Amino acid sequence: MISLISAEIYKIRKQSKTLYALAAILIIEGFVIVSAYYQGAGIIDLLLDNLKDSFEFKGNLLNGNLIIYLILNSLWFHIPLILMIIISGFLTSEYKDKTIETVMLQPVSKLNFILSKYVVSIAFTIFIVLLLAVSTFLVSYWIFGRGDLVVYLDGLNFFKSDDAFNRLILAFLSGVNSMVFFSVVSLTLAVILKDATKTWIVSAIFLICSNLLLKIDFQNEILNELFFSKLTDSWQYFFYYKIPYATIYFKNLLLLSYTILVMLIGVIIFKRRDIQG
Amino acid sequence: MMLKTRNICKSYGSLEVLKNVTIECHKGKIYGLIGANGTGKTTLFRILLGLIKQDSGSIEIDSHGIKPIGGIVEKPALYGYLSAYENLKVFAQIQGLKLTKELFQQCMRQVGLSPARTDAVNNYSLGMKQRLGLAVALLNNPACIVLDEPFSGLDPMGIFALHELIKDLSSKKQITVIISSHIVSELTDLCDTLYVLNKGEIIKSGAAAQLLEESVTTYKIVGKNLESSEVMKKVKAVVLDKSALVSSKNIEITRVLKELIEEGVEVTSCVPQTDLKTLFGPE
Repeated sequence: MISLISAEIYKIRKQSKTLYALAAILIIEGFVIVSAYYQGAGIIDLLLDNLKDSFEFKGNLLNGNLIIYLILNSLWFHIPLILMIIISGFLTSEYKDKTIETVMLQPVSKLNFILSKYVVSIAFTIFIVLLLAVSTFLVSYWIFGRGDLVVYLDGLNFFKSDDAFNRLILAFLSGVNSMVFFSVVSLTLAVILKDATKTWIVSAIFLICSNLLLKIDFQNEILNELFFSKLTDSWQYFFYYKIPYATIYFKNLLLLSYTILVMLIGVIIFKRRDIQG
Repeated sequence: MMLKTRNICKSYGSLEVLKNVTIECHKGKIYGLIGANGTGKTTLFRILLGLIKQDSGSIEIDSHGIKPIGGIVEKPALYGYLSAYENLKVFAQIQGLKLTKELFQQCMRQVGLSPARTDAVNNYSLGMKQRLGLAVALLNNPACIVLDEPFSGLDPMGIFALHELIKDLSSKKQITVIISSHIVSELTDLCDTLYVLNKGEIIKSGAAAQLLEESVTTYKIVGKNLESSEVMKKVKAVVLDKSALVSSKNIEITRVLKELIEEGVEVTSCVPQTDLKTLFGPE
């Protein structure tokens, strides 16, 4: 199993698409930073226009913490989409090039092979989100400096600079769980569909539907609490004035259970199916 | 007995691809599986290699090594973005084998490739990929290798080189080799035993030379003055430009050749022509 994982990591390191993934993440980050640099002050003014009549604002609200928060919001769609495309490719490329047949012609168990794919996919997802977080913190603080954070979440919430820093770190860590869920879903879709284009399309539809369903009230308490799409936003909860830790723990644990279930489905399907590229 | 399959059956929906296929292979021998396209050769090989499961029947392999059987199905599938060394490293690593420099050089030389090349496998010719695929198949010393259409797409030099390599593996390393092809000439001088597959069934099996001899329906004789030969007229040969086709029915070819020489015809070659319909069975 460890040798399979090492081989998978070696292949990922050598593939040019890994570089494209990293580049895509950094481009999104750069795009947000450049936009904020040129237009951020105007947007902040527009957002706080009414409040300025009643309150006095000191310091610069267009600071590193706000930029980090804006980049954090790429966890809604951009980052999971990139991750789903890259990670499903870990398997679909093996089907396309038929290398999966050459691998399975070696004394390798199907279970260990697919488990190693899941383990490496999860590790890759964690690495990407952490890379995004670290680079975002470094670049944002370097260019914009530190300051208090203003966030609109059911109303405007203000957080002191140090408090904002902690909340942003926790949000990224919680976001890892959501990203891992989407990555595992995409790999399972790759197991089922085998074809890269079909997997990308279905992954994108899954992500869009998941985001839409998050906002829909099912008029059913159990569904509203337990349905998977209602669990992928726990990282946003760190920006309520009082952090609802119990809800965050519950959502993360339940989402982790969904992740394991999706992974199990993928493993069972892969094990039962014949290997044909 | 190195490998034995007993009554292998496989269907895809209502389509029966393999019907009670039984083959027996001995150590160090070369076996040919011959048949027209779509007769189930690749499916049988996929089953032998464990890529797909048979519906019924059994496979016995008498090998206790880490890798009892290796092979290539259709085209060699390698990581095109990796070099030969990196490919062998990945495939060795996943089966718990450490690819040392010495082992890499030995693997490459065994299949007639230069260990000095460091570029991506995408740049390799099909013949070189076949050889590298064979090097991957031979990792961990399997007792048996299965090669599905290994000569497909190779030039004559490539075919000759692969023939020599397969013969070497069989004679020097005592590896059992099973090869499939739909081109008879590729297997005639290579295989000890042939199995003929038709519509998913083994319809003939036996010594390659004998099976091919039984399927010879005509001889192509090349020589001078064949058009004026009385012997050719007697055996009702179809005389073409500098050659003649003689039906094998009711004639003894050695006697015909002797008579031709006595008649003064300069015979330069006599090639038996295998009738594919006779060999492969009805379509």
